[in-house]
Amino acid sequence: MTSSFPGAAGPAAGAAWHAGEDLLASYAAGTAGAVASWSVEAHLAGCASCRTELSAQVDAERLARNRSVLLLRAAVGDGGRVRRLLRRCGVSDHVLSLLAATPSLRASWLLSVVAVVAVVAGEAAAVSYGWIPGGGPAAGHPGPAALAPFLLVAPLLVLAGVAAAFLPVFDPAWRLAAAAPFSGFTLLLVRAVCALGAALVPVTGVAFALPGPGWLPVALLLPSLALSAFALAAATVMDPRAAAVTTAVLWALPVLWLASADVPLLIVAPQAQFACAAVLCACAVVLYLRRDRFELGWMR
Amino acid sequence: MDEMTLNVSTAAVRVDGLSRRYGAIRALGGVDLTLERGITGLLGPNGAGKTTLLSILATVSEPDAGRVSVLGLDPGDGAERVEIRRRLGYLPQELRYHRHFTVAAFLDYVAILKEITDRRRRVEEVARVLAVTGLEDRARSRIRALSGGMRQRLGIAQALLGGPELLILDEPTAGLDPEQRLRFRELLSDLPGDPAIVLSTHQADDIAAICPQVIVLLHGRVHFAGAPAGLAGTAAGRVWAADERDGRAHLSWRGGDGRWRHIGEQPPDGAELVTPTVEDGYLLLSHAAGAR
Amino acid sequence: MRPEAGERDDAVLLRAVARGDEGALAALYDRHAGWLTVRLARRCAMPDVVDHAVQDTFLAVWREAGAYRGGGDVAAFIWGIGIRRLIDAIRRENSPRRLRWRAAEPETVVSAEDQVLAGLEHGRLGQALAGLSPELRGAIEATVLDGLTCAEAAVLLGVAEGTVKSRCHRARVALRAALAGQQAGPGTTAYHQGAWGTS
Repeated sequence: MTSSFPGAAGPAAGAAWHAGEDLLASYAAGTAGAVASWSVEAHLAGCASCRTELSAQVDAERLARNRSVLLLRAAVGDGGRVRRLLRRCGVSDHVLSLLAATPSLRASWLLSVVAVVAVVAGEAAAVSYGWIPGGGPAAGHPGPAALAPFLLVAPLLVLAGVAAAFLPVFDPAWRLAAAAPFSGFTLLLVRAVCALGAALVPVTGVAFALPGPGWLPVALLLPSLALSAFALAAATVMDPRAAAVTTAVLWALPVLWLASADVPLLIVAPQAQFACAAVLCACAVVLYLRRDRFELGWMR
Repeated sequence: MDEMTLNVSTAAVRVDGLSRRYGAIRALGGVDLTLERGITGLLGPNGAGKTTLLSILATVSEPDAGRVSVLGLDPGDGAERVEIRRRLGYLPQELRYHRHFTVAAFLDYVAILKEITDRRRRVEEVARVLAVTGLEDRARSRIRALSGGMRQRLGIAQALLGGPELLILDEPTAGLDPEQRLRFRELLSDLPGDPAIVLSTHQADDIAAICPQVIVLLHGRVHFAGAPAGLAGTAAGRVWAADERDGRAHLSWRGGDGRWRHIGEQPPDGAELVTPTVEDGYLLLSHAAGAR
Repeated sequence: MRPEAGERDDAVLLRAVARGDEGALAALYDRHAGWLTVRLARRCAMPDVVDHAVQDTFLAVWREAGAYRGGGDVAAFIWGIGIRRLIDAIRRENSPRRLRWRAAEPETVVSAEDQVLAGLEHGRLGQALAGLSPELRGAIEATVLDGLTCAEAAVLLGVAEGTVKSRCHRARVALRAALAGQQAGPGTTAYHQGAWGTS
């Protein structure tokens, strides 16, 4: 940089000249003139001892502050590949950190969901295709009863993911969140929606592979959403754990009853879909109206 | 002796007739107190209501009755409650951490909860509290790999994020060995920004060491509010030493030197009175409250 | 410590950084952050932007230490990264309160030592430079001294790229004229009133 400056004698070229303490002090303070500053900068480029002297003139607290930030960022890095990718897609960094704290968005949870749904669906498929004997009509014809376990379990898995987003038992540091200014309702929504989406992916994906009506994967959408909304809305009126359990039971009972009557698919029939949509809307309204409940902490 | 007003003009917290029940258990019954700036110790046995009181001050739970004013704001009002939370640092009792979190990731998470959404500011805040609590070298460690003392320091670090005006620490020294407790006290005495601090403990020597003010809470009521010297003073003339056990004493124990120390309402004539400590005062009050 | 020995140590440190040694990064910071902060602060009057640039510089060194091929000294390597990080930080900042020049840029040389410098070290050129108006001097500093492109200089100075080019041109004209013997001594006003205008 300095050699491109024509005519500069360059004190670094062997001269014994060093920047005096006064000059360094005024340079550090920004009160040295332009030409003097350029000389100092040219000299510093080649003189380590003057650089050290200059450092002593700089605000020590500022240097220390930048140092600790630098070392922290160097130690911690920028987040994993997934985070960087999502950041590139425009998701704000602080949302990503909040999601990282959600148990139902961690790899271990999602893998468990995939495992469970795979087992259940596998069993249903095996029975339907006649590989293992099961109740229902002659082997080789997909029997609706074989789908009952899947219909029972799939939305419950989604519900479990959402429950993990709001139940205090799943958040070891829930009291910190309760005492913090960040809106409890916003936190809940962000987590619940992402957990919902994350759980629906394996559930819907597996449903495509199952024998049965072609609309089965889509048909699971509304019941899952309705269950989640119901659990959240119920959590504003009763104890959150009770709300989650109640919701699960309210799904399990009809499914099992219809399965015993050999018409399990009625639970995803159009009339049921309408009912789910109605429940979803009603619960969304209740949830919105009673959202202050989530700002108060969970100790009662 | 339920009400004692300290230096009112700079009060950080004012509580009036606070009550709270859990079912049949009365956790707090008509508590009145005023906390000024500086460090206040809340002393009492388990079940005395300390955690309940602190969680109400931290806006985590609501009282059944009574008025509370934290930093001049009312936690009952939604907007003011959020404002209190912005100026508050809270370390709950037995704080547990997400299993997978590293120190830096956890602090980052709490910083977001404290509404520091800008990434650069967050990193600066996290670096600052790590430096204050001496955890800079552990930024990358998983929390489950930390010792008890370091976890408590991490608890303080998260409470310090955002530079709070009021720190509420629930049993911060529980489970720490004496050396760790000493380092903890040093940390508390020298916090940047000089926040008002309320900490609860059931160990009197924590109080004696760093708290210029102490409140004794027994069975949900305030039994003393004032300086530690005053608390020790309530036992003046009621603590004596002897070579033998004395049945008239409420509490007796044998010291390391082989002599017995007795605390009681009426020392025998000619008994060798000793200077009471803060703990003596506390034990005496505690015994009296239990007898009621 | 002779300069040559210091440079060897720096190169060793940089290799250690390339291997992932955080202690070496801290040592490198301790040696170089001081002058880097001051030098960047001379080019940008917003301290928090300078702080971010300093942090980003050493982070870039942390990540790219392997790219240092050993040619040229470490300080120049760091400066090359630093000035570009400053420009990035300024771009991100995008705030109307940008000030490229300190309000009270002293025209007079501060101390006797400075006078000696201006006279001896740079001779007539130094005086000619001192005679330029701040805007022209800034353009020269950015493009010639710091080696920035016109686009980068435009971000740094907070003006359009065309303005940078025209300022550089006018500055060169003024300098050539000054060196050709049209010195007006300490009277900088002569330049301002001349054909080169005030900016």
